[in-house]
Amino acid sequence: MEESTLSLVSNLEILDTLSADSVQEIVGSYGSFCSATLSLLHGGDASDLFSHVQILCKHGLLSLVRDFFLKSLEEAFERNLASKFWRHFDCYSIVGANYETELQQVLCRALEEISLEKQYQEKCLLLLVRALLLEGKTDSDVEREYLFSKYQLMVSSVLMATLPRHFPELLHWYFKGRLEELSTIMDGEFNVGGDDASQDKDDMDLDEMGKMLHRNGAMDIDESCLQGKFTENNNFVKNIGKVVRDLRSLGFTSMTEDAYASAIFLLLKAKVHDLAGDDYRASVLGSINEWIKDVPLQFLHALLAYLGETTSYYSPSPGLRSPLASHPSACYPAINSPSEGLVRWHLRLEYFAYETLQDLRISKLFEIIVDYPDSSPAIEDLKQCLDYTGQHSKLVESFISALRYRLLTAGASTNDILHQYVSTIKALRTIDPAGVFLEAVGEPIKDYLRGRKDTIKCIVTMLTDGTGGNPNGSGITGDSLLEELNRDEESQENVGADDDFNTDDKQAWVNAASWVPDPVEADPLKGSRNQRKVDILGMIVGIIGSKDQLVNEYRVMLAEKLLNKSDYDIDSEIRTLELLKIHFGESSMQRCEIMLNDLIDSKRTNHNIKATIKSDQTGSEPAETGASMDILNATILSSNFWPPIQDEALNVPEPVNQLLTDYAKRFHEIKTPRKLLWKKNLGTVKLELQFEDRTMQLSVAPIHAAIIMQFQDQTSWTSSRLATVIGVPVDVLNRRINFWISKGILTESLGKDLNDHVFTLVEGIVDAGQNSGNTGSCEELLGGDEEGERSVASVEDQIRKEMTIYELNSALKEPAVKDMVFPPWIRVGGLISPKKFIMGMLTNFGSMALDRIHNTLKMFCVADPPYDKSLQQLQSFLSGLVSEEKLELRDGMYFLKK
Amino acid sequence: METVNGYQGNTPVAAPAGTTPSKQTVTAAKIVDTQSVLKRLQSELMALMMSGESGISAFPEGDNIFCWKGTIKGSKDTVFEGTEYKLSLSFPNDYPFKPPKVKFETSCFHPNVDIYGNICLDILQDKWSSAYDVRTILLSIQSLLGEPNISSPLNTQAAQLWSNQQEYRKMVEKLYKPPSATV
Repeated sequence: MEESTLSLVSNLEILDTLSADSVQEIVGSYGSFCSATLSLLHGGDASDLFSHVQILCKHGLLSLVRDFFLKSLEEAFERNLASKFWRHFDCYSIVGANYETELQQVLCRALEEISLEKQYQEKCLLLLVRALLLEGKTDSDVEREYLFSKYQLMVSSVLMATLPRHFPELLHWYFKGRLEELSTIMDGEFNVGGDDASQDKDDMDLDEMGKMLHRNGAMDIDESCLQGKFTENNNFVKNIGKVVRDLRSLGFTSMTEDAYASAIFLLLKAKVHDLAGDDYRASVLGSINEWIKDVPLQFLHALLAYLGETTSYYSPSPGLRSPLASHPSACYPAINSPSEGLVRWHLRLEYFAYETLQDLRISKLFEIIVDYPDSSPAIEDLKQCLDYTGQHSKLVESFISALRYRLLTAGASTNDILHQYVSTIKALRTIDPAGVFLEAVGEPIKDYLRGRKDTIKCIVTMLTDGTGGNPNGSGITGDSLLEELNRDEESQENVGADDDFNTDDKQAWVNAASWVPDPVEADPLKGSRNQRKVDILGMIVGIIGSKDQLVNEYRVMLAEKLLNKSDYDIDSEIRTLELLKIHFGESSMQRCEIMLNDLIDSKRTNHNIKATIKSDQTGSEPAETGASMDILNATILSSNFWPPIQDEALNVPEPVNQLLTDYAKRFHEIKTPRKLLWKKNLGTVKLELQFEDRTMQLSVAPIHAAIIMQFQDQTSWTSSRLATVIGVPVDVLNRRINFWISKGILTESLGKDLNDHVFTLVEGIVDAGQNSGNTGSCEELLGGDEEGERSVASVEDQIRKEMTIYELNSALKEPAVKDMVFPPWIRVGGLISPKKFIMGMLTNFGSMALDRIHNTLKMFCVADPPYDKSLQQLQSFLSGLVSEEKLELRDGMYFLKK
Repeated sequence: METVNGYQGNTPVAAPAGTTPSKQTVTAAKIVDTQSVLKRLQSELMALMMSGESGISAFPEGDNIFCWKGTIKGSKDTVFEGTEYKLSLSFPNDYPFKPPKVKFETSCFHPNVDIYGNICLDILQDKWSSAYDVRTILLSIQSLLGEPNISSPLNTQAAQLWSNQQEYRKMVEKLYKPPSATV
């Protein structure tokens, strides 16, 4: 408009020259031109348009003509076409999936309609151009281009100005629907197979895409099948292509692209989720890539081809192409040489797919690691995704929060946490061989585990329990650290072999070529990946802080295990120890080795002692007690090297006691000056109980045997009397006797005294009915007693129990002993116990009062564990020694018993 | 029974009689801080208590770990069988680079022990080594009882009588005063 006024102003001078006639002529022509234009636009005849235009142009009013014409076009377009076009979509303002087919038709129809109208308007415009051309005043091409671009601008601005808000969404839904359709068609065809490819080829119609695909005539069967299948969808794609083209011509280019891009991404995301799902046992990355090539890329290829953008089929100089396009064409089975646009799309889709899969896997990483060995394909996928996207930090953050939320809670057992930790280490080792992210992830677990009391114990159990040692089923196979020990050993052997290889130049070159830099997040202070090896055992030991604690706990557990053995079979323990020695060094495992040697020696000594009996007995009469030495097997310990052993006073039955004394005597004869000191509360007794109507065979702890034997001669005991006879405190007796009560062999009833319970033997089977299942002859192994009766003091308990290590002697009578395995123990040297100190000071000072002993112990007994008892504790301990006749007490002074 | 390091049974006494350990020429260059001496004595005590050696014993006296009381029993099959002797051990501040001073508290009729209880034993004088400890000292003295060095006696009467073991036994019994029960 501005331009026309300008031209008017510039032509003002002409006004003077104009005659009245010419003015009249101009006004008349302009009026006619206007009416002719309007009638033309409304489909009427406009044959006189040319002459009017001619007249107006003659008078230099060209711009006036152009402006009026365009303005009329705009008005007509806005009033008729645009409003009509938008009216089609009015009823879809709430977009729902159920409209989809309808929407598709509506969109096609509306687009067709508006395109037709637009074409008509363009024709009108062309008429004007021709009219102007006749005048000869302007260059036709320039004029046409100018007018058409003006027109195009006008169309899109009108449409944009009147755009309903839901239209982009409608487009999105449209493309989504179409793509889904396409995807199902493709899926179906893949399953059916493409036998009818040749037929398809015949059907192929004339559009460009068909031709384009035909050009690759020399393709092999598979590819041509693929093409065939795809050409079947030609019409389908053509429809979409037409829609896209129409939309573009209306000026919706970017909106359209957004719409189909988002639809493709949405579909891809759905596909990834569908393929990946919650199954971690298979790798899905390959099939996702396949799918990208098969569905969206094919679609885009066809679309771009239809729109005429596949320009670079025969790129004359591949070297000049964008580096993005330099992918080997093998990536595109059905497409000979992809256009750059397509390559960009491929990369975009691929990145999007990797990222989607990565996010999906990261969010489920916890579960994936829970079933780690099975889920390694998923881990492998994740590794590839991360290599591509580089978003490792996302993984670390998300996984740590999952750990905090799901694992590091009071409800999770230490064992589970450790197993998960080991799986995590193994899994992340795949993703990140340098262990950089592992460090970040492992830190919270480590911190948490350090706060748990039973961590060390669990670790040692994991270390030692080789195959199926975990009856609770919590041990997942392949999770055992023992296996890890084995693996380490193997890898150590391999290291040597590697070195030899390295001397080979070729190998060195290969190594150098496969070098990968550390992740950016790596801490340069921690050395490069060559020095950093992810070592599971090292990381586990790292939780505890020092290997000493671990070794110590292992020693306690080993002691427990060995003491509970009734044979001398220690092969598996030896194996474990050897492996541990490799890892922790020989010197730290020395004590454990001595413990194992004790077992081996015991076997031999035991054999020797039995041999002396046999040679003795050849002349004399056989053992009159009926309990021969054959039933006794002893385990002889070098107590200095064993962890402190729980000691409990116990009176064993007299025949057994005699047997023990005899055994000890023979031992002394063989091994002078060594003496045996029995630990009578340890070991296992196999016994057979004979009732009127049944017999029972059991393996029990010595104290249980001692208790039940008392009922042989007397069927009813009060707890206090029984405790005195057996030589244990009443509360201990009450606790231990529960074993027999639970078996239905004894019953408990209240006695006269409230604190004195009466225990009675149940002879018949009747009362045992409630405990059925144990009747008749049954063999039962006594596993861990109630409330974790341990033969070796746990590390924490060791300090407390230190006081109570002294030996005992007493006598009992014994009923039906079938076989007896007693691995009591012998102290060759003795422990650093207060007793030694007390004897030592009394030897040198003759006699001492209680408080002086107390003070002296406090001052000098400072080693491990230090003396920390109260005066009262000491007094009771000393009276124990007095009752053992080691000491004497006169006038408040303690003496050594001479 | 294991053999004892540093026990020189055949030649227990090498130093000439009357030699007093006054070696001013060798100055105590090694100033050891008291802490490590304490530690050493502490661990020796621990080792001694642990070893459970019969016939020898020692324990710090009162609250001073540098002064110990020791006890030695006469070995079987020697003239000292059945006797028990008290000793005092006093450790220098630079122990174990210097030997402790060891004396008999109970009078002992022995060629290498004088009437004041001083002992003539090479490892307590010029043959001292920091590898020795309380246990080996006590074992050496115990074996010295049965195998005296007659050639350089502190107690000449005892040295002369040594050849007659029966007379010697009588003399030991006559002079032996069992240690009192209280210190």
